[in-house]
Amino acid sequence: MLRVLQRRARLIVAAILFFATPRLLTAQQQPPLQDAGGYKAPTAALERGRAVYVLNHCHFCHGTDLTQATMGAANLVESVLVGLDQDGKSIGPLVRAGLPNLQTAMPSYRDLTAEEMVDLARYIHFLRQQAKYKELVVTSAQAPASDAQAGRTYFNGVGNCASCHSPVGDLAGISRKYDAPMLRSRLLRPGPAMPVEGAAATAGHAVHLRLLENYTRANVDNLLAYLQTLLQ
Amino acid sequence: MMLYTRREMARLLAGIPVSLAMTRQAGRETPGLTTVNGVVFGVETFSFHDLPPSGDPKLIPTIISNLRALGIAECEIMSGHIEPFPSVMTGWWVQSRRAPDFQRRREEARNWRLTVPMQYYRVIRRQFEDAGLRIYFYNVNFNETFTDEERDRTFEAAHELGAEGFSSSTVLTEARRLVPFVDRHKMFVAMHNHNNLSDPDQFATPQSFETALAMSKLFYVTLDIGHFTAGNNDPVTFIRRHHDRIKNIHVRDRKRDNGPNRPFGQGDTPIKEVLGLIRDNRYPIRAYLEYEYGSFRSSLDEVKACFEYCKDALD
Repeated sequence: MLRVLQRRARLIVAAILFFATPRLLTAQQQPPLQDAGGYKAPTAALERGRAVYVLNHCHFCHGTDLTQATMGAANLVESVLVGLDQDGKSIGPLVRAGLPNLQTAMPSYRDLTAEEMVDLARYIHFLRQQAKYKELVVTSAQAPASDAQAGRTYFNGVGNCASCHSPVGDLAGISRKYDAPMLRSRLLRPGPAMPVEGAAATAGHAVHLRLLENYTRANVDNLLAYLQTLLQ
Repeated sequence: MMLYTRREMARLLAGIPVSLAMTRQAGRETPGLTTVNGVVFGVETFSFHDLPPSGDPKLIPTIISNLRALGIAECEIMSGHIEPFPSVMTGWWVQSRRAPDFQRRREEARNWRLTVPMQYYRVIRRQFEDAGLRIYFYNVNFNETFTDEERDRTFEAAHELGAEGFSSSTVLTEARRLVPFVDRHKMFVAMHNHNNLSDPDQFATPQSFETALAMSKLFYVTLDIGHFTAGNNDPVTFIRRHHDRIKNIHVRDRKRDNGPNRPFGQGDTPIKEVLGLIRDNRYPIRAYLEYEYGSFRSSLDEVKACFEYCKDALD
Protein backbone atom coordinates (compact mmCIF):
# COMPACT_ATOMS: atom_id res chain seq x y z
CA MET A 1 0.00 0.00 0.00
CA LEU A 2 2.84 2.34 0.95
CA ARG A 3 4.56 1.63 -2.36
CA VAL A 4 1.37 2.48 -4.29
CA LEU A 5 1.11 5.80 -2.49
CA GLN A 6 4.77 6.60 -3.17
CA ARG A 7 4.29 5.82 -6.86
CA ARG A 8 1.23 8.08 -7.05
CA ALA A 9 3.10 10.89 -5.34
CA ARG A 10 5.96 10.58 -7.84
CA LEU A 11 3.49 10.72 -10.73
CA ILE A 12 1.88 13.85 -9.31
CA VAL A 13 5.25 15.57 -8.88
CA ALA A 14 6.28 14.57 -12.43
CA ALA A 15 3.01 15.95 -13.82
CA ILE A 16 3.49 19.25 -11.96
CA LEU A 17 7.04 19.60 -13.30
CA PHE A 18 5.91 18.69 -16.83
CA PHE A 19 3.14 21.27 -16.97
CA ALA A 20 4.67 24.03 -14.89
CA THR A 21 8.25 24.14 -16.23
CA PRO A 22 7.52 25.45 -19.75
CA ARG A 23 5.34 28.17 -18.23
CA LEU A 24 8.06 29.17 -15.78
CA LEU A 25 10.63 29.33 -18.56
CA THR A 26 8.30 31.38 -20.75
CA ALA A 27 7.68 33.77 -17.88
CA GLN A 28 11.43 34.20 -17.38
CA GLN A 29 12.16 34.73 -21.06
CA GLN A 30 9.40 37.25 -21.71
CA PRO A 31 9.42 40.20 -19.31
CA PRO A 32 5.95 41.43 -18.35
CA LEU A 33 4.60 44.12 -20.65
CA GLN A 34 2.81 45.86 -17.81
CA ASP A 35 3.73 46.89 -14.27
CA ALA A 36 2.27 49.16 -11.59
CA GLY A 37 3.06 52.16 -13.80
CA GLY A 38 1.10 50.95 -16.82
CA TYR A 39 2.30 49.49 -20.12
CA LYS A 40 5.96 49.54 -21.08
CA ALA A 41 6.70 52.25 -23.65
CA PRO A 42 7.66 51.20 -27.20
CA THR A 43 11.04 53.00 -27.32
CA ALA A 44 13.88 53.59 -24.86
CA ALA A 45 13.33 57.38 -24.94
CA LEU A 46 9.64 57.02 -24.14
CA GLU A 47 10.46 54.49 -21.44
CA ARG A 48 12.72 57.13 -19.83
CA GLY A 49 9.75 59.49 -19.89
CA ARG A 50 7.53 56.82 -18.36
CA ALA A 51 10.05 56.43 -15.54
CA VAL A 52 9.85 60.17 -14.79
CA TYR A 53 6.03 60.04 -14.96
CA VAL A 54 5.66 57.02 -12.70
CA LEU A 55 8.47 57.60 -10.20
CA ASN A 56 7.11 61.09 -9.57
CA HIS A 57 3.67 59.53 -8.99
CA CYS A 58 1.97 61.56 -11.75
CA HIS A 59 -0.09 58.45 -12.59
CA PHE A 60 -1.88 58.38 -9.24
CA CYS A 61 -3.75 61.60 -10.13
CA HIS A 62 -3.57 61.77 -13.94
CA GLY A 63 -3.94 58.03 -14.66
CA THR A 64 -1.48 55.56 -16.15
CA ASP A 65 -2.81 56.31 -19.65
CA LEU A 66 -4.06 59.87 -18.94
CA THR A 67 -7.71 58.76 -19.23
CA GLN A 68 -8.41 58.07 -15.55
CA ALA A 69 -7.73 61.43 -13.92
CA THR A 70 -8.85 61.44 -10.31
CA MET A 71 -8.71 63.50 -7.08
CA GLY A 72 -9.62 66.66 -8.94
CA ALA A 73 -6.57 66.45 -11.24
CA ALA A 74 -6.66 67.92 -14.74
CA ASN A 75 -7.61 65.65 -17.63
CA LEU A 76 -4.38 65.85 -19.63
CA VAL A 77 -6.05 64.45 -22.77
CA GLU A 78 -8.27 67.52 -22.92
CA SER A 79 -5.85 70.09 -21.45
CA VAL A 80 -5.32 73.08 -23.77
CA LEU A 81 -1.92 73.75 -22.21
CA VAL A 82 -0.67 70.25 -23.02
CA GLY A 83 -2.06 70.62 -26.54
CA LEU A 84 0.06 73.74 -27.04
CA ASP A 85 3.17 72.24 -25.50
CA GLN A 86 6.29 71.10 -27.29
CA ASP A 87 9.06 69.27 -25.39
CA GLY A 88 7.91 70.67 -22.06
CA LYS A 89 8.29 74.35 -22.96
CA SER A 90 4.70 75.10 -21.87
CA ILE A 91 4.07 72.48 -19.20
CA GLY A 92 7.59 72.52 -17.73
CA PRO A 93 7.19 75.75 -15.70
CA LEU A 94 3.90 74.49 -14.26
CA VAL A 95 5.34 71.08 -13.37
CA ARG A 96 8.29 72.74 -11.65
CA ALA A 97 6.15 75.24 -9.72
CA GLY A 98 3.33 72.83 -8.86
CA LEU A 99 -0.16 74.06 -8.04
CA PRO A 100 -0.02 74.76 -4.29
CA ASN A 101 -3.39 76.49 -4.24
CA LEU A 102 -5.37 73.54 -5.51
CA GLN A 103 -7.67 71.94 -2.95
CA THR A 104 -5.24 69.00 -2.80
CA ALA A 105 -2.09 70.70 -4.03
CA MET A 106 -0.11 69.43 -7.01
CA PRO A 107 3.47 69.11 -5.70
CA SER A 108 6.36 71.10 -7.10
CA TYR A 109 8.79 68.99 -9.14
CA ARG A 110 11.55 71.59 -9.08
CA ASP A 111 14.31 68.97 -8.96
CA LEU A 112 13.63 67.57 -12.44
CA THR A 113 16.53 68.10 -14.85
CA ALA A 114 16.00 69.68 -18.27
CA GLU A 115 16.44 66.26 -19.89
CA GLU A 116 13.93 64.65 -17.56
CA MET A 117 11.41 67.37 -18.36
CA VAL A 118 11.76 66.76 -22.12
CA ASP A 119 11.42 62.98 -21.60
CA LEU A 120 8.36 63.54 -19.39
CA ALA A 121 6.69 65.89 -21.89
CA ARG A 122 7.27 63.54 -24.82
CA TYR A 123 5.82 60.62 -22.87
CA ILE A 124 2.73 62.68 -21.95
CA HIS A 125 2.28 63.62 -25.63
CA PHE A 126 2.64 59.95 -26.62
CA LEU A 127 -0.07 58.94 -24.13
CA ARG A 128 -2.28 61.79 -25.28
CA GLN A 129 -1.95 60.76 -28.93
CA GLN A 130 -2.85 57.17 -28.07
CA ALA A 131 -5.86 58.31 -26.04
CA LYS A 132 -7.11 60.75 -28.67
CA TYR A 133 -6.82 58.14 -31.41
CA LYS A 134 -8.82 55.60 -29.37
CA GLU A 135 -11.47 58.22 -28.63
CA LEU A 136 -11.84 59.64 -32.13
CA VAL A 137 -11.45 56.54 -34.28
CA VAL A 138 -14.85 55.38 -33.04
CA THR A 139 -17.87 57.08 -34.58
CA SER A 140 -20.20 58.55 -32.02
CA ALA A 141 -23.97 58.09 -32.18
CA GLN A 142 -24.39 61.31 -30.19
CA ALA A 143 -22.31 63.43 -32.57
CA PRO A 144 -24.23 66.05 -34.57
CA ALA A 145 -24.46 65.54 -38.33
CA SER A 146 -21.13 66.16 -40.00
CA ASP A 147 -20.71 69.19 -42.24
CA ALA A 148 -18.56 68.82 -45.40
CA GLN A 149 -18.46 72.59 -45.93
CA ALA A 150 -17.14 73.12 -42.39
CA GLY A 151 -14.59 70.39 -43.11
CA ARG A 152 -13.45 72.22 -46.23
CA THR A 153 -13.10 75.45 -44.25
CA TYR A 154 -11.02 73.66 -41.61
CA PHE A 155 -8.92 72.01 -44.36
CA ASN A 156 -8.07 75.35 -45.95
CA GLY A 157 -7.95 77.33 -42.70
CA VAL A 158 -7.19 76.41 -39.09
CA GLY A 159 -6.13 72.84 -39.88
CA ASN A 160 -3.57 74.11 -42.40
CA CYS A 161 -4.05 70.85 -44.33
CA ALA A 162 -3.83 72.68 -47.68
CA SER A 163 -0.19 73.53 -47.01
CA CYS A 164 0.72 69.87 -47.64
CA HIS A 165 -2.33 68.28 -49.33
CA SER A 166 -4.48 69.06 -52.36
CA PRO A 167 -8.01 67.88 -53.21
CA VAL A 168 -7.00 67.69 -56.86
CA GLY A 169 -3.55 66.25 -56.15
CA ASP A 170 -2.64 63.60 -53.56
CA LEU A 171 -6.19 63.48 -52.18
CA ALA A 172 -8.04 63.24 -55.49
CA GLY A 173 -10.35 60.24 -55.41
CA ILE A 174 -9.36 59.43 -51.81
CA SER A 175 -12.89 58.38 -50.92
CA ARG A 176 -12.79 55.73 -53.65
CA LYS A 177 -9.52 54.39 -52.30
CA TYR A 178 -10.58 53.99 -48.65
CA ASP A 179 -13.89 53.23 -46.98
CA ALA A 180 -15.09 55.56 -44.24
CA PRO A 181 -13.56 53.73 -41.22
CA MET A 182 -10.16 53.40 -42.95
CA LEU A 183 -10.27 57.00 -44.11
CA ARG A 184 -11.06 58.13 -40.54
CA SER A 185 -8.17 56.05 -39.19
CA ARG A 186 -5.68 57.39 -41.75
CA LEU A 187 -6.89 60.94 -41.24
CA LEU A 188 -6.18 60.60 -37.51
CA ARG A 189 -2.88 58.78 -37.79
CA PRO A 190 -1.42 58.21 -41.26
CA GLY A 191 1.86 56.85 -39.82
CA PRO A 192 2.59 53.77 -37.68
CA ALA A 193 0.38 53.04 -34.67
CA MET A 194 3.38 53.06 -32.33
CA PRO A 195 6.77 54.78 -32.47
CA VAL A 196 9.49 52.38 -33.59
CA GLU A 197 12.89 52.18 -31.91
CA GLY A 198 15.52 53.86 -34.07
CA ALA A 199 13.03 55.26 -36.58
CA ALA A 200 12.31 58.97 -36.20
CA ALA A 201 8.84 60.12 -37.22
CA THR A 202 8.77 61.88 -40.60
CA ALA A 203 8.02 65.60 -40.56
CA GLY A 204 4.57 64.94 -42.00
CA HIS A 205 3.84 62.27 -39.44
CA ALA A 206 4.95 64.56 -36.62
CA VAL A 207 2.57 67.28 -37.89
CA HIS A 208 -0.29 64.76 -37.96
CA LEU A 209 0.45 63.60 -34.40
CA ARG A 210 0.30 67.20 -33.24
CA LEU A 211 -3.00 67.68 -35.06
CA LEU A 212 -4.29 64.43 -33.55
CA GLU A 213 -3.66 65.77 -30.04
CA ASN A 214 -5.79 68.82 -30.74
CA TYR A 215 -8.63 67.59 -32.96
CA THR A 216 -12.16 67.89 -31.66
CA ARG A 217 -14.73 65.30 -32.70
CA ALA A 218 -16.39 67.92 -34.91
CA ASN A 219 -13.05 68.63 -36.65
CA VAL A 220 -12.65 64.95 -37.52
CA ASP A 221 -16.28 64.31 -38.52
CA ASN A 222 -16.37 67.40 -40.73
CA LEU A 223 -12.98 66.69 -42.34
CA LEU A 224 -14.08 63.14 -43.06
CA ALA A 225 -17.30 64.41 -44.64
CA TYR A 226 -15.28 66.76 -46.83
CA LEU A 227 -12.78 64.06 -47.89
CA GLN A 228 -15.70 61.80 -48.81
CA THR A 229 -16.77 64.40 -51.38
CA LEU A 230 -13.41 63.95 -53.15
CA LEU A 231 -14.52 61.26 -55.56
CA GLN A 232 -12.20 62.04 -58.47
CA MET B 1 12.48 12.59 -2.16
CA MET B 2 10.69 12.89 1.16
CA LEU B 3 7.22 11.43 1.39
CA TYR B 4 4.78 11.65 4.23
CA THR B 5 3.51 8.47 5.82
CA ARG B 6 -0.25 7.95 5.79
CA ARG B 7 -0.37 8.75 9.49
CA GLU B 8 1.59 12.00 9.03
CA MET B 9 -0.56 13.00 6.03
CA ALA B 10 -3.79 12.32 7.94
CA ARG B 11 -2.53 14.42 10.85
CA LEU B 12 -1.62 17.31 8.54
CA LEU B 13 -4.93 17.31 6.68
CA ALA B 14 -6.88 17.07 9.90
CA GLY B 15 -4.98 20.04 11.30
CA ILE B 16 -5.72 22.50 8.50
CA PRO B 17 -9.44 23.16 9.04
CA VAL B 18 -9.01 23.21 12.81
CA SER B 19 -6.34 25.96 12.66
CA LEU B 20 -8.40 28.00 10.18
CA ALA B 21 -11.48 27.75 12.35
CA MET B 22 -9.50 28.83 15.37
CA THR B 23 -8.21 31.85 13.52
CA ARG B 24 -11.69 32.82 12.46
CA GLN B 25 -13.10 32.36 15.92
CA ALA B 26 -10.33 34.31 17.58
CA GLY B 27 -10.60 37.03 14.95
CA ARG B 28 -14.31 37.43 15.38
CA GLU B 29 -14.01 37.95 19.10
CA THR B 30 -10.83 39.97 19.48
CA PRO B 31 -9.29 41.61 16.40
CA GLY B 32 -5.60 41.95 17.15
CA LEU B 33 -3.41 45.01 17.49
CA THR B 34 -0.26 45.38 15.44
CA THR B 35 2.31 47.10 17.60
CA VAL B 36 5.98 47.86 17.12
CA ASN B 37 7.66 48.86 20.36
CA GLY B 38 4.34 50.06 21.70
CA VAL B 39 3.25 52.02 18.60
CA VAL B 40 0.04 50.72 17.03
CA PHE B 41 0.18 50.43 13.25
CA GLY B 42 -2.56 50.47 10.64
CA VAL B 43 -2.95 51.15 6.94
CA GLU B 44 -4.89 53.82 5.05
CA THR B 45 -6.46 51.76 2.25
CA PHE B 46 -5.73 54.59 -0.21
CA SER B 47 -2.23 53.03 -0.18
CA PHE B 48 -3.52 50.11 -2.25
CA HIS B 49 -3.57 51.82 -5.64
CA ASP B 50 -4.06 48.66 -7.66
CA LEU B 51 -7.33 47.49 -6.12
CA PRO B 52 -10.37 46.40 -8.14
CA PRO B 53 -12.77 49.31 -8.74
CA SER B 54 -15.47 50.45 -6.32
CA GLY B 55 -18.31 47.95 -6.11
CA ASP B 56 -16.25 45.04 -7.44
CA PRO B 57 -16.89 41.92 -5.33
CA LYS B 58 -13.14 41.25 -5.19
CA LEU B 59 -12.33 44.64 -3.64
CA ILE B 60 -12.89 43.88 0.06
CA PRO B 61 -11.27 40.40 -0.15
CA THR B 62 -8.21 42.02 -1.77
CA ILE B 63 -7.90 44.62 1.00
CA ILE B 64 -8.22 41.84 3.58
CA SER B 65 -5.65 39.72 1.79
CA ASN B 66 -3.24 42.67 1.60
CA LEU B 67 -3.63 43.46 5.31
CA ARG B 68 -2.99 39.83 6.19
CA ALA B 69 0.07 39.75 3.93
CA LEU B 70 1.38 42.84 5.73
CA GLY B 71 0.57 41.43 9.16
CA ILE B 72 -1.32 44.61 10.04
CA ALA B 73 -4.61 44.16 11.85
CA GLU B 74 -6.44 47.44 11.35
CA CYS B 75 -7.17 49.98 8.67
CA GLU B 76 -8.71 53.31 7.82
CA ILE B 77 -10.98 52.40 4.94
CA MET B 78 -11.97 54.90 2.26
CA SER B 79 -15.67 55.33 1.54
CA GLY B 80 -14.94 54.45 -2.10
CA HIS B 81 -13.80 51.03 -0.89
CA ILE B 82 -17.04 50.44 1.01
CA GLU B 83 -19.62 52.08 -1.23
CA PRO B 84 -20.21 50.85 -4.79
CA PHE B 85 -19.09 54.15 -6.32
CA PRO B 86 -15.82 56.10 -6.15
CA SER B 87 -15.54 58.86 -3.56
CA VAL B 88 -15.20 61.41 -6.37
CA MET B 89 -18.98 60.98 -6.80
CA THR B 90 -19.60 62.39 -3.33
CA GLY B 91 -18.32 65.87 -3.89
CA TRP B 92 -15.10 66.36 -1.93
CA TRP B 93 -13.07 67.59 -4.89
CA VAL B 94 -14.53 70.92 -5.89
CA GLN B 95 -13.14 70.50 -9.42
CA SER B 96 -15.07 67.24 -9.83
CA ARG B 97 -18.35 69.08 -9.13
CA ARG B 98 -17.91 70.85 -12.47
CA ALA B 99 -18.27 67.60 -14.45
CA PRO B 100 -21.42 67.75 -16.63
CA ASP B 101 -23.04 64.66 -15.07
CA PHE B 102 -21.92 65.37 -11.49
CA GLN B 103 -25.37 66.33 -10.14
CA ARG B 104 -27.00 63.17 -11.49
CA ARG B 105 -24.21 60.93 -10.14
CA ARG B 106 -24.23 62.71 -6.78
CA GLU B 107 -27.98 62.15 -6.51
CA GLU B 108 -27.49 58.43 -7.29
CA ALA B 109 -24.87 58.19 -4.53
CA ARG B 110 -27.19 59.93 -2.07
CA ASN B 111 -30.11 57.65 -2.91
CA TRP B 112 -27.89 54.61 -2.42
CA ARG B 113 -26.74 55.84 0.98
CA LEU B 114 -30.28 56.57 2.14
CA THR B 115 -31.73 53.25 1.04
CA VAL B 116 -29.01 50.61 1.48
CA PRO B 117 -29.89 48.22 4.33
CA MET B 118 -27.52 48.39 7.30
CA GLN B 119 -26.92 44.67 6.81
CA TYR B 120 -24.71 45.68 3.85
CA TYR B 121 -22.19 47.23 6.25
CA ARG B 122 -22.51 44.41 8.79
CA VAL B 123 -21.50 41.87 6.13
CA ILE B 124 -18.32 43.84 5.39
CA ARG B 125 -17.52 44.16 9.09
CA ARG B 126 -17.96 40.39 9.45
CA GLN B 127 -15.54 39.76 6.55
CA PHE B 128 -12.84 41.77 8.35
CA GLU B 129 -13.53 40.26 11.75
CA ASP B 130 -13.51 36.73 10.36
CA ALA B 131 -9.99 37.44 9.14
CA GLY B 132 -8.91 38.78 12.53
CA LEU B 133 -8.93 42.38 11.28
CA ARG B 134 -10.87 45.51 12.02
CA ILE B 135 -11.90 48.78 10.45
CA TYR B 136 -10.80 51.36 13.02
CA PHE B 137 -11.55 54.53 11.01
CA TYR B 138 -14.15 55.08 8.31
CA ASN B 139 -12.62 57.63 5.93
CA VAL B 140 -15.45 59.81 4.65
CA ASN B 141 -14.78 63.24 3.17
CA PHE B 142 -17.75 65.22 4.51
CA ASN B 143 -18.62 68.25 2.43
CA GLU B 144 -21.40 70.70 1.63
CA THR B 145 -23.02 68.35 -0.92
CA PHE B 146 -24.15 66.05 1.95
CA THR B 147 -27.69 66.45 3.24
CA ASP B 148 -28.30 66.13 6.99
CA GLU B 149 -30.13 62.85 6.41
CA GLU B 150 -27.08 61.61 4.52
CA ARG B 151 -24.75 62.67 7.33
CA ASP B 152 -26.88 60.72 9.83
CA ARG B 153 -26.86 57.61 7.65
CA THR B 154 -23.08 57.84 7.22
CA PHE B 155 -22.60 57.89 11.00
CA GLU B 156 -24.88 54.85 11.28
CA ALA B 157 -22.85 53.12 8.56
CA ALA B 158 -19.61 53.78 10.46
CA HIS B 159 -21.14 52.28 13.57
CA GLU B 160 -22.20 49.14 11.66
CA LEU B 161 -18.72 48.80 10.18
CA GLY B 162 -17.34 48.64 13.71
CA ALA B 163 -15.36 51.85 13.27
CA GLU B 164 -14.43 53.88 16.33
CA GLY B 165 -14.88 57.05 14.33
CA PHE B 166 -14.08 58.92 11.15
CA SER B 167 -11.00 60.26 9.51
CA SER B 168 -12.09 63.00 7.15
CA SER B 169 -10.58 65.30 4.57
CA THR B 170 -12.98 68.16 5.11
CA VAL B 171 -13.08 71.91 5.66
CA LEU B 172 -13.80 74.15 8.64
CA THR B 173 -17.25 75.22 7.40
CA GLU B 174 -18.28 71.56 7.13
CA ALA B 175 -16.79 70.83 10.57
CA ARG B 176 -19.23 73.40 12.03
CA ARG B 177 -22.13 71.51 10.43
CA LEU B 178 -20.86 68.22 11.90
CA VAL B 179 -20.94 69.34 15.57
CA PRO B 180 -24.53 68.17 16.31
CA PHE B 181 -23.89 64.89 14.46
CA VAL B 182 -20.85 63.86 16.52
CA ASP B 183 -22.82 64.71 19.66
CA ARG B 184 -25.90 62.76 18.57
CA HIS B 185 -23.97 59.68 17.44
CA LYS B 186 -21.24 59.92 20.11
CA MET B 187 -18.61 59.25 17.51
CA PHE B 188 -15.45 61.24 16.79
CA VAL B 189 -14.35 62.84 13.54
CA ALA B 190 -10.59 63.25 13.07
CA MET B 191 -9.73 66.02 10.62
CA HIS B 192 -7.14 65.17 8.00
CA ASN B 193 -4.88 67.83 6.54
CA HIS B 194 -3.42 68.54 3.13
CA ASN B 195 -1.08 71.46 2.43
CA ASN B 196 -3.17 74.12 0.71
CA LEU B 197 -2.01 77.20 2.61
CA SER B 198 -3.99 79.74 0.58
CA ASP B 199 -7.53 78.69 1.55
CA PRO B 200 -8.26 79.34 5.26
CA ASP B 201 -11.16 76.88 5.13
CA GLN B 202 -8.77 73.98 4.46
CA PHE B 203 -7.00 71.92 7.11
CA ALA B 204 -3.31 72.61 6.52
CA THR B 205 -1.94 74.65 9.43
CA PRO B 206 -1.85 74.29 13.24
CA GLN B 207 -4.36 77.15 13.45
CA SER B 208 -6.91 75.39 11.22
CA PHE B 209 -6.79 72.30 13.45
CA GLU B 210 -7.00 74.39 16.63
CA THR B 211 -10.11 76.16 15.33
CA ALA B 212 -11.84 72.81 14.75
CA LEU B 213 -10.69 71.28 18.05
CA ALA B 214 -12.36 74.19 19.87
CA MET B 215 -15.71 73.37 18.22
CA SER B 216 -16.27 69.96 19.83
CA LYS B 217 -14.65 67.55 22.26
CA LEU B 218 -15.37 64.85 19.70
CA PHE B 219 -13.24 66.49 17.06
CA TYR B 220 -9.74 65.10 16.75
CA VAL B 221 -6.84 65.17 14.29
CA THR B 222 -5.56 62.73 11.70
CA LEU B 223 -2.18 64.38 11.22
CA ASP B 224 -0.72 63.67 7.82
CA ILE B 225 2.91 64.30 8.70
CA GLY B 226 4.00 64.31 5.03
CA HIS B 227 1.50 66.96 3.90
CA PHE B 228 2.18 68.91 7.11
CA THR B 229 5.89 68.97 6.26
CA ALA B 230 5.20 69.90 2.63
CA GLY B 231 3.28 72.89 4.02
CA ASN B 232 6.43 73.84 5.99
CA ASN B 233 4.89 72.98 9.36
CA ASP B 234 6.63 70.96 12.04
CA PRO B 235 4.80 67.74 12.99
CA VAL B 236 7.00 67.13 16.08
CA THR B 237 6.03 70.46 17.66
CA PHE B 238 2.37 69.95 16.77
CA ILE B 239 2.28 66.43 18.25
CA ARG B 240 3.98 67.59 21.48
CA ARG B 241 1.32 70.29 21.85
CA HIS B 242 -1.78 68.36 20.81
CA HIS B 243 -1.01 64.67 21.44
CA ASP B 244 -4.20 64.18 23.44
CA ARG B 245 -6.32 65.29 20.46
CA ILE B 246 -4.57 63.29 17.73
CA LYS B 247 -6.10 59.92 16.90
CA ASN B 248 -3.60 58.86 14.26
CA ILE B 249 -0.88 60.06 11.96
CA HIS B 250 -0.59 59.29 8.27
CA VAL B 251 2.99 58.26 7.72
CA ARG B 252 4.34 59.41 4.40
CA ASP B 253 7.48 61.27 3.34
CA ARG B 254 7.27 64.52 1.39
CA LYS B 255 9.76 67.28 0.68
CA ARG B 256 9.20 70.74 2.15
CA ASP B 257 7.92 73.69 0.06
CA ASN B 258 5.12 71.61 -1.50
CA GLY B 259 7.66 69.03 -2.61
CA PRO B 260 6.71 65.60 -3.93
CA ASN B 261 6.15 62.32 -2.11
CA ARG B 262 9.32 60.28 -1.81
CA PRO B 263 10.17 56.76 -0.61
CA PHE B 264 10.38 56.71 3.19
CA GLY B 265 13.67 58.25 4.32
CA GLN B 266 14.23 60.28 1.14
CA GLY B 267 11.97 63.26 1.86
CA ASP B 268 12.06 65.97 4.55
CA THR B 269 9.40 64.47 6.84
CA PRO B 270 10.81 63.62 10.30
CA ILE B 271 9.31 60.12 10.34
CA LYS B 272 11.87 58.68 12.76
CA GLU B 273 11.53 61.57 15.20
CA VAL B 274 7.73 61.40 15.13
CA LEU B 275 7.58 57.64 15.67
CA GLY B 276 10.19 57.91 18.43
CA LEU B 277 8.17 60.69 20.08
CA ILE B 278 5.03 58.54 20.11
CA ARG B 279 6.96 55.51 21.41
CA ASP B 280 8.91 57.31 24.12
CA ASN B 281 5.92 59.25 25.46
CA ARG B 282 3.47 56.36 25.00
CA TYR B 283 1.09 58.69 23.23
CA PRO B 284 -2.07 56.81 22.21
CA ILE B 285 -1.58 57.90 18.61
CA ARG B 286 -1.87 55.27 15.89
CA ALA B 287 0.62 55.25 13.00
CA TYR B 288 -1.13 54.60 9.69
CA LEU B 289 0.96 53.88 6.63
CA GLU B 290 0.10 55.79 3.49
CA TYR B 291 1.97 54.91 0.32
CA GLU B 292 1.84 57.54 -2.43
CA TYR B 293 5.32 57.86 -3.94
CA GLY B 294 5.90 56.44 -7.41
CA SER B 295 7.10 52.92 -8.10
CA PHE B 296 6.91 50.21 -10.73
CA ARG B 297 6.28 47.63 -8.00
CA SER B 298 2.92 46.64 -6.60
CA SER B 299 1.33 48.70 -3.84
CA LEU B 300 1.57 45.75 -1.51
CA ASP B 301 5.34 45.52 -2.03
CA GLU B 302 5.73 49.22 -1.37
CA VAL B 303 3.54 49.27 1.77
CA LYS B 304 5.68 46.38 3.04
CA ALA B 305 8.79 48.51 2.41
CA CYS B 306 7.16 51.45 4.26
CA PHE B 307 6.37 49.19 7.22
CA GLU B 308 9.92 47.83 7.31
CA TYR B 309 11.27 51.38 7.38
CA CYS B 310 9.04 52.21 10.36
CA LYS B 311 10.02 49.04 12.20
CA ASP B 312 13.69 49.91 11.74
CA ALA B 313 12.99 53.45 12.92
CA LEU B 314 11.45 52.13 16.12
CA ASP B 315 14.07 49.48 16.73
